[in-house]
Amino acid sequence: MRREDQDRALVEVTSRVVDSFVRGAEGREGHLEGVLSDTLYHEGLRLERADPSDPATRAYRELYGRVRRELGSASPSRQKELLTEITRQYCEEVLGNFDERVYRIATSVLPHGLSALLKGASLRRVANMDILLRRGLQEYVSVEGEVDHVRALMDRGTLLVTPTHGSNLDSPVLGYAIYLMGVPPLTYGAGLNLFDNPVLSFFMSNLGAYKVDRRKQAKLYKAVLKEYSTCALEMGYHSLFFPGGTRSRSGEVERKLKKGLLGTAVRAYTNNLQAGRSKPDIFVVPTTINYKLVLESETLIEDHLKEVGKARFIISDDEFSRPRRVLNFMSNLFSLDARIVVRFGKPLDVFGNPVDLEGRSLDPKGRVVDPRGYVSRNGVPVRDDQRDQQYTNELADVIGASFGRDNVVMSTNVLGFVLNNLLQRANPGMDPYRLLRSGGVQDSFPMAEVHAEVQRVLGAIDALADPPSLEAVVARGDVPDIVNDALKHFAIYHTHDAAERCGDRVFHHDRKLLLFYGNRLRGYDLGRSLAADR
Amino acid sequence: MQKVTVIGAGSWGTTLADVLGSNGHEVLLWARSEERCAEINEQHTNSRYLPGFDLSPNITATSDLERACGHSHWILLVVPSHGLRQCARDMGGFLSGEHMIVHATKGIEQQSFRRMSQVLREETSVRKIGVLSGPNLAREIMRRQPAGTLVASKYREVLERSQALLHSPTFRVYTGSDVVGAEVGGAFKNIVAVAAGVVDQLGMGDNTRALLLTRGLNEMAHVGAAMGANVLTFGGLAGIGDLMCTCASPLSRNHQVGERLARGQSLEQIRAEMHMVAEGVKTARSTFQFAAHHSLDLPIVRAVHAVIYEQRPVVEVIQDLMALPASHELVELSW
Repeated sequence: MRREDQDRALVEVTSRVVDSFVRGAEGREGHLEGVLSDTLYHEGLRLERADPSDPATRAYRELYGRVRRELGSASPSRQKELLTEITRQYCEEVLGNFDERVYRIATSVLPHGLSALLKGASLRRVANMDILLRRGLQEYVSVEGEVDHVRALMDRGTLLVTPTHGSNLDSPVLGYAIYLMGVPPLTYGAGLNLFDNPVLSFFMSNLGAYKVDRRKQAKLYKAVLKEYSTCALEMGYHSLFFPGGTRSRSGEVERKLKKGLLGTAVRAYTNNLQAGRSKPDIFVVPTTINYKLVLESETLIEDHLKEVGKARFIISDDEFSRPRRVLNFMSNLFSLDARIVVRFGKPLDVFGNPVDLEGRSLDPKGRVVDPRGYVSRNGVPVRDDQRDQQYTNELADVIGASFGRDNVVMSTNVLGFVLNNLLQRANPGMDPYRLLRSGGVQDSFPMAEVHAEVQRVLGAIDALADPPSLEAVVARGDVPDIVNDALKHFAIYHTHDAAERCGDRVFHHDRKLLLFYGNRLRGYDLGRSLAADR
Repeated sequence: MQKVTVIGAGSWGTTLADVLGSNGHEVLLWARSEERCAEINEQHTNSRYLPGFDLSPNITATSDLERACGHSHWILLVVPSHGLRQCARDMGGFLSGEHMIVHATKGIEQQSFRRMSQVLREETSVRKIGVLSGPNLAREIMRRQPAGTLVASKYREVLERSQALLHSPTFRVYTGSDVVGAEVGGAFKNIVAVAAGVVDQLGMGDNTRALLLTRGLNEMAHVGAAMGANVLTFGGLAGIGDLMCTCASPLSRNHQVGERLARGQSLEQIRAEMHMVAEGVKTARSTFQFAAHHSLDLPIVRAVHAVIYEQRPVVEVIQDLMALPASHELVELSW
């Protein structure tokens, strides 16, 4: 964020957050005190485990200690002052990670940075380095979908890119895709743990990321983050939210999205209209990031199975935090020419309507609609939180549907799905966890059976009314090719090959990984048409 | 006094326009036929659909859809379910994001099994969509006999506005957020009404009818739950309320179809003699398909389907129903 915007944002965010809490406290005795107590409580828990020698920890201890001593006897106006002080502190912390110089040089540093990373990745494999240098980066990240459309919109309003989230590599990959397109860096809040990786931490800050401390659980802190991202959108900073909230543990494409941060889009749009800004529009760009192999798949699926339904919010010790693992992953991936595919979906307005190349909203029949009406009463823009929540729900549904269509199915996804089907069929009624552990009655399937199932799954995908996208090798539909391609990839990276060919049989070694990769095809109702087919 | 728009001048649309007009609002009522518009504007009557009733002088009729949509941002849409998609598409060009549409159409789109609010969403840019549904026989409401209805919408603005406009000393308007439940209730009850017609024609008693209605309500709730409704909605006006009302009325077309089926008439004969197909006949088929797709076992739907579409004799079908094992009443979905 530019210096002048930074100062404005600090004032703006602080006053908005404080005002909203003060407004919420009207007619509710003790409410403000409750907000402060909530903050002290959550922060107290956090600080117990924090490094006492860290200056930030000491500063917070001092601040909260003072607030705690005063709180009991503070008048409402003094409570507001205390609230303002803490809020301001949070704002400064969030904003403080923005550096004008960093933002300015981001575009020029970024490609060199990524090259350096990739070179590092192949230091131990000189051959690969040659390939990298010869081909350039474009070879490894494919950008497809509505690229021209997104580019056409970037000067007409503010972009809000909302991608699927499957890996910590998502933000650097997306940052690079955006760079290739000539779009300025995206502002986004990245968890502190993402900065632990020394190689990639460098990128995070260069990508326009600000640090989000997920250990801070207080409502006040979350309100600051939300208001900050609203302000950034209003100021015209193209932004990035992962609407799934956290990496997909199961490997599935997210269908349920978090509405909190997404809701800032309607809010920022309404604020823009109320302030009479010249380019009020915010364009939401659902995007999928697709990997043939997922860096953290082993940890993610493990976590998914451990706590189905309740994903742990923070994983701090996964593959991503081990630089060598990241490098190894990338180098292996690139040695097989496995592209990471970033696919941009159809841009939307904040109400979920598609927009045309000029940024005009369209109704389902392609007629131009004036989006201002959605937030207006008698032509005047008005704020209505309940209404905007519903708009955001509808936007989330449209983004979810877009994810479904723009999900690029890879050979590894097809084989994972197929082997899972075969496993379940060979072991009817077996407890799924037991099946994952033991592998059931047979350790392998004849290649012919695998091929036949691949054929059926391809047929079922083809028959879908709203099918996903397919990577080239899958789209070509040559069944043995698809299986070989998947097996080749399964063999190069994971600790144990997920599946392996031996003679004319395919052995399933790591069924959790197969589940993970196959899950990318879940949510399409393929099971039903496959069952009907049988 | 506010400007309001009503689309559709059948008996229910005209009645609701009259309620709004009596509440002092400036109603613009859209009717397809010029002739009807002229009658409403000049004589304040709608003799085809509401013979014998005088309409509120606050109602003006028009056949100009653009004018109707431009008249106000609050639109009450009351057209038959099979015509709603086309009507919404026609309106679409005249609507903005500021518009609210509350529909009072009971039915599910055939084949697609779309609810009316979904059709509206697919055809227009409008987001603030609501549904009005309840035990509301038009003639009784024209006579200002006490009645109540439900308006459901996800948007509080729609609820507040609709209630303020429609509520009157003789017409109570309740609000809710369960759009799916309100829509499913209004559509599903027609199937049970066909079954009620059969039972009444066969001379079965009040016990039989109560059994049928209660178990019908149970199936309604299960279909609703499968579509995402809140089960409690079916204990309200749009659920049990409408079900009781429709099944008790021998004038209902669905009930008449049931009577004819019980007399051994085939669907073709009924079609030929009644000139129109009652909603319950179509809904029975689409619900039957929906149930198969979602692995729901709906014995009453199955029975009505068997009589209408599989030419099974009614007595035999009822015997089959009664021979089914009785389940845990509230937990399992079965007869």
